[in-house]
Amino acid sequence: MSNETYTSSNRIFKELFDEIGKVIVGQREAVEQILIAIMCNSHALVESNPGLAKTLTISTVSKALDLKFSRIQCTPDLMPSDITGTYIIEDVGGKKQFRFEPGPVFANIVLADEINRASPKTQSAMLEAMQEKQVTVGNKTYPLDKPFFVLATQNPIEMEGTYPLPEAQLDRFLLKILMDYPSPEEENEIVNRYTKNITPMVNKVISKNEVLELQKLTRDVPIAEDIKSRAISIVLNTRGKSEYIEYGASPRASIGIILAAKARALMKGRNYVSAEDIDAMAYPVLRHRVILTFESERKGMTTDQVISDIMKNVK
Amino acid sequence: MDEFLVKLQKLKSGIFSRMKLLFLLDVVAIFSIFYSLFIVVNLEYFLNKTTFYIPFQVNFIPPVLALLLGAGIAFLLHRKDSKINLYLLIEKKYSDLKEKLRTAYDNRDESNIILDALKMEVSGSLDKVSSAHILTTGKLLSKLVIAVILLAGTVTIAQNPGTYAIPVETIKDIGNTITGNVEKGGNETMDVAGRPEDFDKAGEDGGGNIKGKPNIATIEGKNIDLAIFPGYESGYELKEAGQTQNQFIKSAAFPVDILGSNVSDGGYSILMKKTETEKQLINKYAVERSTI
Repeated sequence: MSNETYTSSNRIFKELFDEIGKVIVGQREAVEQILIAIMCNSHALVESNPGLAKTLTISTVSKALDLKFSRIQCTPDLMPSDITGTYIIEDVGGKKQFRFEPGPVFANIVLADEINRASPKTQSAMLEAMQEKQVTVGNKTYPLDKPFFVLATQNPIEMEGTYPLPEAQLDRFLLKILMDYPSPEEENEIVNRYTKNITPMVNKVISKNEVLELQKLTRDVPIAEDIKSRAISIVLNTRGKSEYIEYGASPRASIGIILAAKARALMKGRNYVSAEDIDAMAYPVLRHRVILTFESERKGMTTDQVISDIMKNVK
Repeated sequence: MDEFLVKLQKLKSGIFSRMKLLFLLDVVAIFSIFYSLFIVVNLEYFLNKTTFYIPFQVNFIPPVLALLLGAGIAFLLHRKDSKINLYLLIEKKYSDLKEKLRTAYDNRDESNIILDALKMEVSGSLDKVSSAHILTTGKLLSKLVIAVILLAGTVTIAQNPGTYAIPVETIKDIGNTITGNVEKGGNETMDVAGRPEDFDKAGEDGGGNIKGKPNIATIEGKNIDLAIFPGYESGYELKEAGQTQNQFIKSAAFPVDILGSNVSDGGYSILMKKTETEKQLINKYAVERSTI
């Protein structure tokens, strides 16, 4: 099975991008990074302004991958049970008994929209499910279906009444994906597509089992020692004394860069990790793990600029 | 062992053989340069003049020293050879192996579908890799030509040292100019050993010694006895003409080579050319002088 999946992986990714491209115009990098996070069996945080097709993108990906999709709109009054599910009383043959009603977290792909609007307690319930891949309600633990992928979104504007995710919880997201506005040509294409009566349809490209096979194959992609060292050096350099960095990245970042680079290599049809993969994945892996100093924020520097400087100094 | 590792090993030994050859050619080239230089500056002559005790034959020193210098400098030039990352060298020359070769090599002990596919791909690509392309034959040939030319030059110089060697006096003058030790009137150095052209004039004027030089020289109003005694140091002792008692000092054997350094076959053969009468006279003279 793995062998077949591997030999057809090039075709799989090409068809996936073609199918997703029927619905999503542009945003190629964001789609790539979402697929990378899924292949790494991890989760991603998307930050973008409203109206940039975050929900559409992730629902399209779930259709192409033939995975169950659910969406949670996070609000301050959202309770943990609204996510995990709860016991309800049911009348069975004249007898009343409790039945567990699974919440939206029981899906393969979960979109937690505006996760920073949920209360810390609800965020914790969500993040526990992400980490443990299981949900505990009452005294019973329910394993989540595989693959399990959470795409949480944050809005960079309107920070009023939000509960920003603590750094420790941000660390659990493999990637922080940035979605930018489309180019004028892309916007023109978006308008053309969505002002007609024809709704673009997405066909299933691979099965759930093939997704799991791809997750296994991702970890099999070999990496050279010097390329691995480069990834580790980049992470280590975020921890050194710097006037721009308050806190550096954890060892999870090193694991994340290498794993994401492996997934990217497989996606690009390579049977080895290239230094180019490391460089490309360092930004989404590190940008939510590196905390900048007040001085760098005052100078208007972004995390990506600081990461770029670090990478220039690492051989 | 994986197929690509066998090919890599073969390639590695080919490259290292070429590196060894380059090292040897550098040794030969540097040896030639230094040996020629030693001949030109008359190193052997200066070694003979030294007062330091040398436990072996002086004429072995220049070639041995040149060889040691050649090997030492070549070693310094090639000291990083063993540290060369062969995989990066191959990847640099063959871009289709870039990152693949080192990945396959670093993960040589592991096996999975992707890695096995990579190893096969690398193995296929290694078929077209040759050590001649990595360390170019052109480089090797140019070094070979340089080494041969230098060696030929050295052989030529070694066979005719008189033609190419800088005269000892010139070197001394240069040395004096450099050190600022220029000797002025009354302190001129004298060639007490005599010049070859004077050798045949021995005893012609009756007052000369066996080398045709005067026994007594007047320097700054003083009469200086310039007689050379066999076995008495390597040069001469300055003393008053009236002084008859010689103070023998234990010294190295009289260096015949110094006499011979300005002639092609040395002083011995010159003495051998004398008639029997002359030889007896010289012998008698030497015996009489030795009893003083």
